[in-house]
Amino acid sequence: MKRLASVIALGVLVTGVVPAAAQETESQPGTTPAFSPVTWERLLNAKDEPHNWLMYSGTLDSQHYSGLDQVHNRNVGDLELKWAYQIPQLDRAETVPVVVDGVMFITEAPSNVVAVDAATGRQYWRYNHSLPDDLRICCGRNNRGVAILGETLYMSTLDAHLVAIDARTGNLVWDKAVADYRAGYSKTEAPLIVKDEVVTGMAGGEYGVRGFIDSYNAKSGELEWRAETIPGPDHPDNQTWAGDSWRTGGAATWITGAYDPDLDLVYWGTGNPGPDWNGDVRLGDNLYSDSAMALKHETGALEWYFQFTPHDVHDWDAIQVPILADLEMDGEMRKVMMWANRNAFFYTIDRVTGKFLVGKPFAKQTWAEGLDANGRPIRIPGTSPTAEGVTVSPPIGGGTNWFSPSYSPRTELFYVQAYDGEDIFYKRDEDYVEGDQFTGGGGRRPLPVENYKSAIRAIDPKTANLRWEYEIQPRSTAGIMATAGDLVFSGSVDGYFFALDAVSGEELWHMNVGRMVHSAPMSYAVDGKQYITIAAGNVVYSFGLRD
Amino acid sequence: MSMRSLWSAVTLILVAVLSLTAAPPDVSAQAREEPPADNVFTGELDVQMGQRVFQQQCGRCHGEDGTGGEGGPDLTNGFRSASTDEGLFKIVREGIPNTQMVGISRRSTDQSAWMVVAYLNSLNDTNDVDLPGNAANGQQLYAGKGNCSGCHMVNGEGGRLGPDLSQVGNRRDPAELVSDLRTPDQDVAPRWWTLRVTRADGTVVQGLRMDEDTFSMRLMDDDEDLWSFSKRDVRSYDRIKTSTMPSVNATLTDAEVDDLVAYLFSLRREEI
Ligand code: HEC
Ligand code: HEC
Repeated sequence: MKRLASVIALGVLVTGVVPAAAQETESQPGTTPAFSPVTWERLLNAKDEPHNWLMYSGTLDSQHYSGLDQVHNRNVGDLELKWAYQIPQLDRAETVPVVVDGVMFITEAPSNVVAVDAATGRQYWRYNHSLPDDLRICCGRNNRGVAILGETLYMSTLDAHLVAIDARTGNLVWDKAVADYRAGYSKTEAPLIVKDEVVTGMAGGEYGVRGFIDSYNAKSGELEWRAETIPGPDHPDNQTWAGDSWRTGGAATWITGAYDPDLDLVYWGTGNPGPDWNGDVRLGDNLYSDSAMALKHETGALEWYFQFTPHDVHDWDAIQVPILADLEMDGEMRKVMMWANRNAFFYTIDRVTGKFLVGKPFAKQTWAEGLDANGRPIRIPGTSPTAEGVTVSPPIGGGTNWFSPSYSPRTELFYVQAYDGEDIFYKRDEDYVEGDQFTGGGGRRPLPVENYKSAIRAIDPKTANLRWEYEIQPRSTAGIMATAGDLVFSGSVDGYFFALDAVSGEELWHMNVGRMVHSAPMSYAVDGKQYITIAAGNVVYSFGLRD
Repeated sequence: MSMRSLWSAVTLILVAVLSLTAAPPDVSAQAREEPPADNVFTGELDVQMGQRVFQQQCGRCHGEDGTGGEGGPDLTNGFRSASTDEGLFKIVREGIPNTQMVGISRRSTDQSAWMVVAYLNSLNDTNDVDLPGNAANGQQLYAGKGNCSGCHMVNGEGGRLGPDLSQVGNRRDPAELVSDLRTPDQDVAPRWWTLRVTRADGTVVQGLRMDEDTFSMRLMDDDEDLWSFSKRDVRSYDRIKTSTMPSVNATLTDAEVDDLVAYLFSLRREEI
């Protein structure tokens, strides 16, 4: 109570020179002079500074795992709210903040970024991006986060620009138009820094665009290379698209990829082929839609690809974060990539060659008998959309979607948000008009959502077998973070944020944060105190242990 | 429940309530005829009428003179969300979905909305004027003798101890620029005040005031490092409301000041 009184007293006294509340200094953290430049070395070794969260997925292998263990499975019940940051926009947040030496960078709708003190959530500066008034965006005014290199932040904007922003002031450094927003291109994903370049994708898969992954010089903003996700007519894989359908084939790239420094490979997922639900106009496998692409970072050249859903007609984007790890499988150390796909199958793939190792469904699916020896789905006839409608699992939103899964090197488990839903899929004829939506159908859920199971599932990536599941009612579309404290954090559509035991899946703590959790948790520490942060609704909350 | 966790719970509820209270405007009720594409209400009287409507309906958020306030951005420095009169009209009429920006009263006519558009445009007039100075010389002075880039950025190059000047010609007219250079201590914006903080151990940290609230303050010191202080933890602090920018009176000739002003005024966003 004494403490409370002194806070109020100070509030009254604030005018010009203020006398100290000297006796109150005890355990208060004091001040943080922040921050030192984030070199490529630091990004490469981000694991060695777990008090920082230096990129969208935490580390270049995208494990979305925090090495901090001050909060662990025996004291997580003592978590309390430390601060809340109110985003001054009503759009629900999909951002994962980045933290560097006590400064947190939060992106906001439509394409803004704010720097706050990570210990208090109070602002240093903000950058508001100028946007045109005739944007074309399918799915909300989203932005998922920044990348940082040196003292510069890199951010995607809804008008399909990539901007460089001074991390100490919020001043605009450069502003590059990546594509023409009037033709339906936009940008929402957090870029990925590789060496001295900014690797970044694009969105717009519902507008008949042609996807790509770009790499820009971080200093100048010059384009170093562009990798098309649909090869042009001079490439044999172009034959996997009937006629001219490749020109408007989609295969967008709207979630951040991963990077392996030893192989110098960038891994990135691609979205659905367009039009989404009518495949008649684009017969063939439609390469490289719904694929993982491995690109040589030096040149952007395609090293290998793995297509999860050939000739997709259900909008099952391979827009997931690729998670990299080295696993002992059958007595041999393997460099693998783990991937729980929107098509309801989980895959472990050799990330050197792209060879399929193991895969099984992790959520309800009724469209394939299974995977063949190469990981290609064996389709069940009669599951493609029709004019009258066909019921198929998973639904349009998938067995999972873009929200980050997580991998813990301690438990060697892969954690994913899974949904055993279904949709009635419809097909219709549609002509392409530049700048308009181009989807060729749609879908609808036949029953209330409560009828379908939603769960966090822990998968053993060596066998693709389920280890445990934690059921969520009614459902969740949130990302997941595992920590070295053997905890798994996630949230739900009805506004819960919670922690599970990473080994057993048992619930250990939950908090009603009021509105939908749609982004992924992250963790950092300032002055030796660990924080766990989540965006819910349009508020960013930071939790820590009771003092 | 301890006092602390009680407060945590209260904050949580407050934030949740805050995030719900600002309901988006009801756009469905506003279906109407397509507005004309060009503003025909651009006369002097129209602008005055527009100003009156603005002060009544918009000033509480955007400031009486449109330079920004508690609830809304500065409208005298170009528009982020509109590049045409039609786009501006749409915003004035309907607001911006999912933001606090609600737009003109439904009882106001389209004509009033167009007058507000004319008024908003009048706040952003940067018609070319004949300036005595030479911008090319000014640019050299800026980088050289004037020593301006140590504190100011233009297009990502330069220091962080003053405002970004990349588009200063959009927000300052030539007369204002002259006074910016000659009498920097006049009207220093709170963002550019200096905070001098004496910590509990007697050491002093001083820098530009990035942000301050009842309980805390954040500043940038001369090394461009960021600091955050809890007021309860410091012995004392001062707000110094003079500018850290030296006046050019002692260092530059009148002709050189003219050249600098010509250069600074040329730093404007291209018309889109
Ligand atoms: C309740 C506060 C509020 C009121 C009243 C209000 N505005 Fe706004 N206005 C805002 C906010 C907040 C924004 C920024 C919205 C965003 O985030 O894009 C804004 C944005 C704008 C913009 C776009 C600025 C840009 O850079 O593109 C214009 C133009 C504008 N307001 C004009 C008006 C006019 C004219 C009125 C009166 C009819 C008005 N506003 C009334 C809060 C308000
Ligand atoms: C020691 C750092 C420093 C130096 C050197 C400096 N300035 Fe400034 N300048 C500031 C600060 C701080 C402000 C904001 C406070 C104020 O209004 O004076 C400012 C304000 C300005 C403004 C007003 C900007 C606005 O947006 O209102 C202009 C114009 C300007 N400076 C130009 C110059 C020029 C030209 C030079 C070189 C002759 C220069 N400055 C040198 C620190 C500096």
